[in-house]
Amino acid sequence: MYSGRRVGYLIAAAVIALLPLIFQDSYWRTNLTVCAITVMLAIGLDFILGYAGQLNLGHCAFYGIGAYASTLLITRLGVPFWIAFACAIALAGAAGMALAMFAVRLRGHYLAIASLAFAVIVHQVLLNWISLTQGPLGIYGIRPPPPIALPGLPVISFANAGNMFYLVAGFALLFYFLLDQILRSPIGEALTAIREDEVSAASFGINCAGWKVFAFGIGSAVAGAAGAFYASLVGTLVPDAFIITESFTILAMVIVGGMGTLLGPVCGAILLTVLPELLRGFGDLRLVLYGAALTLVVLFMPGGMAQAARLIRPRLPGVRAKLLHDRAA
Amino acid sequence: MLAVAVQQAINGVVFGSLYVLVALGLTLIYGVLVQINFAHADIVTIGAFAAYFFTYTLGGNYVASIGVALLIGAALGWLINASIFAPLRERGSELLPLIATIGVSVLLQNAMLLWFGPIPYSFDSPYSNQVIRLPGGTFITLQNLIIIAVSTVTIALLYGFMRFTFMGKALRAVAQDRETAGLMGINPNALIMLTFVIASALAGMGGAMLGPILVLTPFAGTSVIVKAFAIVIIGGFGNVAGTIIAGLLVGLIESYTTQFINPGLTDIVVFTLLLAVLALRPTGLIAEKREENV
Amino acid sequence: MRKTSLCIAVAAIFGLSVATSCAYAQDKLIKIGGLFPMSGPGSYFGVQDKQGIELALAEMNKTGVNGYKFEIQYEDSACGPLPATQAGKRLLDQYKPQIVLGEECSDATLAIMPLMDEAKVPFLNAGSSSIKVTDPGNPWTFRIMPNEVMQGVDIATNAYKRLNARSAVLLYENTNAGIGNAKVFGDTFKSLGGQVLADIGFGRDVNDFTAIATRIAGLGKVDVIPTYTLEGQGLRITQALAQAGVTKGGGGGAIQLGTIWLPFGFEQKAGKAALGYVRIVQFDPTDKRELVQNFIRSFKAKYNQEPTHLNAHAYDQILLIADVVRRGGKDPQSIRDTLAATKDFHGVTGSVEFDKHNQNIRMDTIHYMETLPDLSWQALAWN
Repeated sequence: MYSGRRVGYLIAAAVIALLPLIFQDSYWRTNLTVCAITVMLAIGLDFILGYAGQLNLGHCAFYGIGAYASTLLITRLGVPFWIAFACAIALAGAAGMALAMFAVRLRGHYLAIASLAFAVIVHQVLLNWISLTQGPLGIYGIRPPPPIALPGLPVISFANAGNMFYLVAGFALLFYFLLDQILRSPIGEALTAIREDEVSAASFGINCAGWKVFAFGIGSAVAGAAGAFYASLVGTLVPDAFIITESFTILAMVIVGGMGTLLGPVCGAILLTVLPELLRGFGDLRLVLYGAALTLVVLFMPGGMAQAARLIRPRLPGVRAKLLHDRAA
Repeated sequence: MLAVAVQQAINGVVFGSLYVLVALGLTLIYGVLVQINFAHADIVTIGAFAAYFFTYTLGGNYVASIGVALLIGAALGWLINASIFAPLRERGSELLPLIATIGVSVLLQNAMLLWFGPIPYSFDSPYSNQVIRLPGGTFITLQNLIIIAVSTVTIALLYGFMRFTFMGKALRAVAQDRETAGLMGINPNALIMLTFVIASALAGMGGAMLGPILVLTPFAGTSVIVKAFAIVIIGGFGNVAGTIIAGLLVGLIESYTTQFINPGLTDIVVFTLLLAVLALRPTGLIAEKREENV
Repeated sequence: MRKTSLCIAVAAIFGLSVATSCAYAQDKLIKIGGLFPMSGPGSYFGVQDKQGIELALAEMNKTGVNGYKFEIQYEDSACGPLPATQAGKRLLDQYKPQIVLGEECSDATLAIMPLMDEAKVPFLNAGSSSIKVTDPGNPWTFRIMPNEVMQGVDIATNAYKRLNARSAVLLYENTNAGIGNAKVFGDTFKSLGGQVLADIGFGRDVNDFTAIATRIAGLGKVDVIPTYTLEGQGLRITQALAQAGVTKGGGGGAIQLGTIWLPFGFEQKAGKAALGYVRIVQFDPTDKRELVQNFIRSFKAKYNQEPTHLNAHAYDQILLIADVVRRGGKDPQSIRDTLAATKDFHGVTGSVEFDKHNQNIRMDTIHYMETLPDLSWQALAWN
């Protein structure tokens, strides 16, 4: 790994370590944890949309499947948290692959509508299968992950908002790292080829269908993990947390952050999660801003914040000096 | 039992014809532009609110308010095409316009929320509670009758326009092959704008007629739009005849599911049908000769 | 000599103002948190709750109680468990109230309860009917409104005995409160010998009720239709049932039964379709007690409209808090304990006495109203 990137990961880890020390109250720590969850959702969708080029409008369905799968396993069958967590990831991933296999021939708008229909069906099933999911009655009092007792150290309880943040943000960083590695491998090139021109990619011998299924599987698995954390963070689970507008929100984060980069959606997710909290006083104005941001970004800066960063970078004094110096050398 | 079945058929046709109005707009846009306008639902909602305020605040005539909603819908269509689709068309991106319209939809819905508030408006037309008793114990409200009448006339006019007028033929030419149509002296951009305006006018009109039936909130259009998408696909993107049949079909499915199974399951039934159509006959249930890069 | 008396006068004035400002500084504050729906389909609850609360606060703060003044901060819980959880956390963390009021919707209330429990802050509810709010016996949650069992058993029994109903169709929104209320009605009605012809639940996104009304019309003779839904959908249901000729408002024979969810003014929106609607309200404007009549007078003076039961039960929540402070409550724990010991509080909605699950068991908070042809209410003396 290039040393520049290693430094990047170290900085990220340091920031994660410091944040709960800056924000000491449980309200903001919870918000930061929600940020980490949305980051996971955003990079998962970005993997499918930004890199593999598949317009998936049903991402919220995988989120919901992960949340309900882990919660039901824990509350109904007494499965330990981390096993339920792994199952949630596997189930959400499997659902993603199933959708991809179904839609493998569909492109563009058809895939978009198919994924939309899938999300509606999943939501309706969660809502109506009351004997399984409790439906609109909701599941209350969901416990955070069980405390970890390492020898010699005090017990780490996840009822503590700070510890919970460390856990979730740590996983977000881990998933980022994993996705980054995949994208830098030949797999990433294959995905990019599919995104740019599927027909040509196929003529190069790339198994388009297979890689599309793969992309969906990975992206939805990460969403499933986010769902499992969400349930144990908020403590309350209702099907309406996973309605179709959630997909649009995640989409907004990916686009505003910058499709086709991995860091962009991270910034988009953080911005669009924190901003509404800061704008709380404005109530519904924040959603107007969401919509406006999405539209304007697509119209004027389709590459999102990443594109903006690329434009600004050369103009920064230090960078400019360096470029001039390099050119002179 | 027969009376109930007939009544549910009537209910299904009423709602089906409303879905058709909304879906026709979508399918027209797709046919000509190969684009989806997600904000279509909000044009429906705005049409409903426009009709509401025209009737209640300005004291206008209800039937006239349908016309007002039509005009406002048309204006919105013009605006959306001019500001979003036309500029993005230059860039030749397939997915970006769709995403942009998602943004517009979120923006419009929440702007309406801010402006109109979340408390449902009680929109009653003078006809929505006038009941006409039909033989066999069935009934239909005057409002529903108006809906069926207006929808039928509109669809007939639209069909005639597409088949028999020069403009209509030009539109179909642009849908088939934009470049060649341009070479033939047709201005594709102007025609695309025309399509948008017509489609959005239909949506506005649909909203005005839906207003007295729905629970009127800024989110009223959303409940209709997802089903409208389903109808467009089941009927076949760009296929007018298919959309009509699919719309009526979905309306009937809804009322019969409510009658014999459970109101909560109507969405599941409709969308499973949609997925089945996508899996088996992606170009739609009704065959139409159309080359489609599905 | 002059100078001395001047000095004494100055000292006296100085001392007096110091004493006054000390007394002023001793004006302590009870911070009340308010979790109400300000947005979403239940937002009319929030608007009306605020009105009742503001009126009561103005009255209480005129003189204070035991040297305490009252202050409130609202957060929007939007009638749903998710926003309620977030709003609740924010309220507890940032405002740190000594007592919290809310919510209206059972789903939201159930989500808030564990938060209050953990923070050890008393939570006073006046609007949620689900039995799950008090049944488990949560020491920090209190409810002054009759729960779904109290209401459901009462209205089902009255339907059977006073309305001679023998057949019913349950119609409800798919939420905790809707499902719970319908179940209690159904179970009671059946145990008395009545028949439930259909059990129809629907989601909050359903718009058109013609199909449902048609289904009910096809069931034959229906005596009562207990309906549990919010105003927006409630309007369409009532109209659809009348159109289908099922209810009295449409020439049929069925009577819709309901509870406090529908606000005053519903009839004016629904029109003559609402004829014959019988429902439980928490407030009887024809109640002759001076407390009630004063409330109506001051509400009309302040807001220029008639108070609804939503205004009334919010008003009572503040009155009850004031009563608790008068009896010595001043911090979360003592407020909780004093609340639990309430045996004979009288508010505009009725009286309050909490049982060991902190549920108010006085039945005089249940008032029945019937809609007349001129769309006004007639109080039925069923309780």
